[in-house]
Amino acid sequence: MTDLDDRDDVFEDLEVEPEVPEYKSKVGKKRFKTKAAKTIETEKSEIVGYRQQPGKLDFTRPGSGGSSPLSERRDPKMIPRSQGGELEQPWGPHRHDSLVTGRVIGKRTALIDSKWKVTGQAVYGDDVRLPGEIIGRLVRSDRHYARVLSVDVTEAEAMPGVLATATGLDAPSAFGVLPVTKDEHAMAIEKVRHIGDIIACVAAEDEATARIASQAVRVEYQDLDPIFDMRDGLKDSENPIHDRGVYHIGESNVQKRVFQRFGRISDIEDSVASYERDWTFKGVNHGFTEPHAVVAHWDPRGRLTLYTPQQVPHYVHRALADVLNIPMHQINVHRTYVGGGFGGKSDPFPHEMCAAILARKTGRPVRITFDREEVFWTNRGRHPSRISMAIHADEEGRFSGIETDALIDGGGFASFGHVTTYYNGVLHTAPYEIGAFHYTGARVWTNKPASGAMRGHGAVNSRCAVEVGIDDISEQLGVDPIDLRLANLLPPHSATITGFRVTSIGMRECLERVRKESNWEKKFRKMPLGKGIGVGCGFFISGSGLPIHWDPNKFPHATVHLKIDMDGGVTVHTGAADIGQGSDTVVGQAVAEVLGLPMDMIRIKSKESDTSPVDLGSYSSRVTFMNANAAVSAAMEIRSDLITAASSILDLDESKLVLGDRRIFSKRNPEVGISYLEALHKAQEDRGALVASGSYRTPPMGKMHKGAAAGLAPAYSFSAYVAEVDVDVETGSIKVEKVWAAHDCGKALNPLSVEGQIIGSCHMGLGQVISEEMKYGRTGNLLNPDLLGYKIPTVHEMPEVVPIIVESNDPEGPFGAKEAGEGPLLPILPAVCNAVYDAIGVRTSELPLTPDKLFRSIEKACSKKGISDPRDLPNPKLELKPLSKILKKRAKDHSSRDRKRRLDSSPEAYFNGQLFGQEPSNPPEENDPEWMVQVIPDKEYLENPKLAGSAWLHKERRHRRASE
Amino acid sequence: MRTPSFQVHSPTTLSEALQIANSLKKQKTEFDWISGGTDLIPNYKWGINPRSNVISISGVDELGGISKTRIGAMARLQDIVESSEAHPLIAEAAASVASVMIRRSGTLGGNLCLDTRCFWLNQSETWRKSIEYCHKCDEGTGADCRVIPNQNELCVATYQGDLAPALMCLDATIHLASLNSTRSMPLEDFFQNDGITRNVLKPGEIVTHIELPDDSLRRFGSYQKLRHRDAWDFPEGGVAFSVGVDRDGSVSSLNMASTGFESIPRKHGDLISSLGKGPNWALEAERLGAELKRSVRPVLNTWFPPRYRKKMASVLARRAMEEASKRVTSA
Amino acid sequence: MAGLPLPIAGGASTKVWSATINGKNQQCIIKEHDLLLDVLRDGLGSLGTKRGCDMGTCGCCSILIDGKPRLSCMTLAVEVEGRSITTVEGLSDGHHLHPIQTMFAECGGSQCGFCTPGFLVVSAALLDTNPEPTRQEAEDAIEGNLCRCTGYQQIVDSIMEASKMLTGIGGQQPTTRPASDPNPMFGG
Repeated sequence: MTDLDDRDDVFEDLEVEPEVPEYKSKVGKKRFKTKAAKTIETEKSEIVGYRQQPGKLDFTRPGSGGSSPLSERRDPKMIPRSQGGELEQPWGPHRHDSLVTGRVIGKRTALIDSKWKVTGQAVYGDDVRLPGEIIGRLVRSDRHYARVLSVDVTEAEAMPGVLATATGLDAPSAFGVLPVTKDEHAMAIEKVRHIGDIIACVAAEDEATARIASQAVRVEYQDLDPIFDMRDGLKDSENPIHDRGVYHIGESNVQKRVFQRFGRISDIEDSVASYERDWTFKGVNHGFTEPHAVVAHWDPRGRLTLYTPQQVPHYVHRALADVLNIPMHQINVHRTYVGGGFGGKSDPFPHEMCAAILARKTGRPVRITFDREEVFWTNRGRHPSRISMAIHADEEGRFSGIETDALIDGGGFASFGHVTTYYNGVLHTAPYEIGAFHYTGARVWTNKPASGAMRGHGAVNSRCAVEVGIDDISEQLGVDPIDLRLANLLPPHSATITGFRVTSIGMRECLERVRKESNWEKKFRKMPLGKGIGVGCGFFISGSGLPIHWDPNKFPHATVHLKIDMDGGVTVHTGAADIGQGSDTVVGQAVAEVLGLPMDMIRIKSKESDTSPVDLGSYSSRVTFMNANAAVSAAMEIRSDLITAASSILDLDESKLVLGDRRIFSKRNPEVGISYLEALHKAQEDRGALVASGSYRTPPMGKMHKGAAAGLAPAYSFSAYVAEVDVDVETGSIKVEKVWAAHDCGKALNPLSVEGQIIGSCHMGLGQVISEEMKYGRTGNLLNPDLLGYKIPTVHEMPEVVPIIVESNDPEGPFGAKEAGEGPLLPILPAVCNAVYDAIGVRTSELPLTPDKLFRSIEKACSKKGISDPRDLPNPKLELKPLSKILKKRAKDHSSRDRKRRLDSSPEAYFNGQLFGQEPSNPPEENDPEWMVQVIPDKEYLENPKLAGSAWLHKERRHRRASE
Repeated sequence: MRTPSFQVHSPTTLSEALQIANSLKKQKTEFDWISGGTDLIPNYKWGINPRSNVISISGVDELGGISKTRIGAMARLQDIVESSEAHPLIAEAAASVASVMIRRSGTLGGNLCLDTRCFWLNQSETWRKSIEYCHKCDEGTGADCRVIPNQNELCVATYQGDLAPALMCLDATIHLASLNSTRSMPLEDFFQNDGITRNVLKPGEIVTHIELPDDSLRRFGSYQKLRHRDAWDFPEGGVAFSVGVDRDGSVSSLNMASTGFESIPRKHGDLISSLGKGPNWALEAERLGAELKRSVRPVLNTWFPPRYRKKMASVLARRAMEEASKRVTSA
Repeated sequence: MAGLPLPIAGGASTKVWSATINGKNQQCIIKEHDLLLDVLRDGLGSLGTKRGCDMGTCGCCSILIDGKPRLSCMTLAVEVEGRSITTVEGLSDGHHLHPIQTMFAECGGSQCGFCTPGFLVVSAALLDTNPEPTRQEAEDAIEGNLCRCTGYQQIVDSIMEASKMLTGIGGQQPTTRPASDPNPMFGG
């Protein structure tokens, strides 16, 4: 009773003394002020800070938030020199320096969701179990290519326990990840295009019933002639796999073709060394451990929630609206934990549509989980490719030209293929300065599971061919391959031959570090037969300059919302999809750093489209760059509010205040300050919870030619690896012993994750180079749709990886950061190939380099040299020629040129071509009439086109009509 | 992924197990034995010849046990690897099976009775339907073999057990039991060169244990396995070689056996006999390897192409002999 | 030899099944042919145990049976009736994480996290029998588990660090106590 009496007292008091007039009067003024808030006059009579009714007990003064009652002092080693700290800045200051509080950026930080994962509480696709759920199962084609004459579901529907079925007729709208190539349906409408293509789906009370029912759906087919060889896709066909209407290219299965010619093509003729090889790359699957799974649920109010492990929830959101024919606001896409993506969970998928359709029909939550085989049928892995690579070098050891022809096998659907076709060319126009670049590419449809985007999208295969080519050229020129590379690098703040704006470049440092740490000079061409060492480089985009969906026109690439209520914890709303790479963590780190908070005061809400601002998803290595940038700008707004509040409490000028660990204080006199919570509560006085929004969009850049946007990125990452291998010459098996992996990620916001990405990339790339392939048999069937046959390296195959982080401090990246997720995969392939050459003198042009294939090459080498026992093979030796000295000198000059340029806040323009005598400050096409920019083939080329280039022999239907 | 439904019988003694088997046989009900399940369960999930009844023998203790001269059928492979009793050659072969996780379930008997494998067969129901099935699992269609077309007489699926060649090199005897009778035979006689029948086991009959001759402790050998990855992968070819050494140091026996090349593991007595029993057998490793290469007949139904596997037979044989020779010397 | 496929559902007899799951005796009704993985996930709600490949080549479904690692996707539930089964949910003691869990979180042993439960139980069993494994021994113990994210290196790092924590030889010390800490560590 006494307690109650006390409480009544309080109420009474409040009633008699309601006067707090300041609050009311300021609402209007303060609401919209941020920085200007300090102009508000503080009335002398006003009680500043924590007030209380007279005679009453004080509220507890607010602590500082966080787990420790004491604020840590700023660690000067974490504060950049530009801000008076001790953190060295060999690459100059950064625009975010003033935001550094020294809390989390650059520290090894456990993933923010790791405790969920290690306790088994993380909810992945198949772990979403809703009350009343039923199980969906897909009916899949057992034909390679056939017209669907009829689908009979009556038998299946009559089975006890079966609740609904659906067929293509239930969802006639087409969808696809790229707006220009929507060629997928929830279920087959007219044709099935590969074994495993979806024809219908069933929903039943339990999995066993659903499986039987799916077998009871009767389908009548009319078989069509399938094509499996990508070269056949270039030819005219009676039944092209898709029909693009007036845009259809001939009557062929060419889905996309590209022609690009830049530079002085005539210089190629003066080359003294050339590498020309036709490469074959097998298809590769992402091999993530979590099979696709989805749960769809229509809530009683008629809204759809789709739970799905997706890298790109937003595109699913759009596709669902199209396919289900409902407005987007009626859909909530809930991204579950994603058990590995690597590009394989970034398309909107038919099974996601099927689950939604079945759930709509039954009014029950529907769960669909894939068998591993279905994962391979969905695929979207790396394209099987045939790449013809030619690299030429002149007498000064410059790359006078690169000529690439890439035919890529798209399988049954377009997926990301439009972009992949460009990426196979444009992503090897750097890091080297080149005299001429000629690329022809084509992507064809075949009757196989669709290829799509996979880690290192489009860049991996052609990069491997380029880097192996450079190794071969250096052998021809009699120079060290690292010297050759170092003497041909583009400088920082330059433009590539196709017009990409490159800002920071850490390529030189990467090469120098791996050379030193691997003890290269002692090993290269000096080890016994079977032991070898090789180098390879990489270059990758850090976010895509143009988003895939860019309507409405000025929609930002990434948006982050922050909400901070009186508890002081920061809720970060972001749509970036954490797929295990740590995007939640890095966005949280960006916010924590700016606000000077420990990570445990940050909570990330990134899962639901209902609460997250639109984000374009986890692809193109865009998340750290774009999302963290958006997070920084949102946090800056809050920071400014806090500083204003602190300034008014402390009566110090805002410019004199800095943020530290949960504290805002005078920079000169750190003892003078207030806690974060005090400042926060002051800032909240008139408006309650603080909210802020930050967004990121890329600056305008690039050239204007057709396709100029492909490969355009606000920043690029660079990497150089050295691999050491042990080859068994009698069996052809390769054991990669050690890899030194240097990657320029701009700034490692979380070194633990960056290293994890580098090592993981090595593992995935290693798989492609030694064992992984999607193997198709003579019948066109995929022979290994399981994890026994699809040979992902085990722990025993994994070499020791020495991750080396190079921080080139990108001017536009958040705190200088660029990507670290995809670029690190590229160099491992050529590094291993080149090391194999060093070990046994056999050059490969086919991946994966399985023991049987390598052994065949060894046999050939033996018979060529008249040797019967492969153990007697001679391995290559290095004899340096005079050019070597010239290159070393040039590399040294360039090194000092680059150092100057990177520290220069407004460096002079530098266009690719200066190395070849072009005027540096103008695009070379403006000075030199012979410098080409050509994106449509001329007649001369068409008289003798290369393989993929022959796609240009076809005319689009619309042009045919006009000419006929 | 679910298996088709089946009835599980869980006897606790051998005689009970054999009685269940016998009564199922009498009812003309097809059944499978299941020990570790690492081979059978995936096959059932894929719908490859599932049976309506399964007799689980994991509760039958008398089928276990590992000693120097006797290993029970239910001995788990990892237990063999870790045992101080098992012959080093057997432990070496067992340690090369799949992965440590699979070895913890997999058993000696299961590895010997391993179903033959073929990439036209070890696939899901929908997949196999797309090639209109195959001879080994034809779903009643009378389908042809997909490896050697235009015939449905012979199944050439490949036997990929690791233990058989090691045991053959030790002259192991395999013991079988059925209700009211037992029999035994040299291990090489247990197998049949047919991807479907595979071995001499009759319905209702079970492998109980293998027995090694007393002199097996004086044998030194090596098992060399060809595979792409050092875990999980089945042997694309495997060769075991052993040398028996008398107390006076003279060679008392030489043996070589192979697996992974054909539908049957084979003991190559004919090749070995050419070696004689002189002290210089190891010098002939090169020649013997070349002869083994000529002898084996792999087909295109596993991961590596047959041409390569055939060539590797000679390398494996030579390396097995060299390694065995080293072990003799160091012993 | 070959016959038409048998019906997948129906016909199989059901039974009451019991086992000690993470120290607690649990019962549920299963079909005789049910695999342990299905019973754990669908019957007992141990959703931490994952399904990856269905054929023993990924190790995501690893659990401990009487303390020894086994693959639940290949184990008939009836064969382990009455046994003691530990899943990833059973490794921690309330808020007090097993050292291997702490270290997987802190050393980058877990990226996407899907294979993590399998690696954790296998590593926990390793440390149980061999508290101070060499890197090679740790690699041998996890050879049956597939990780696509980490390249295994940070997983082995995590095991080595957990070993240090367990044995108290160098490395980080536990910050919580078994079953007695009402105030879990902040963060994570």
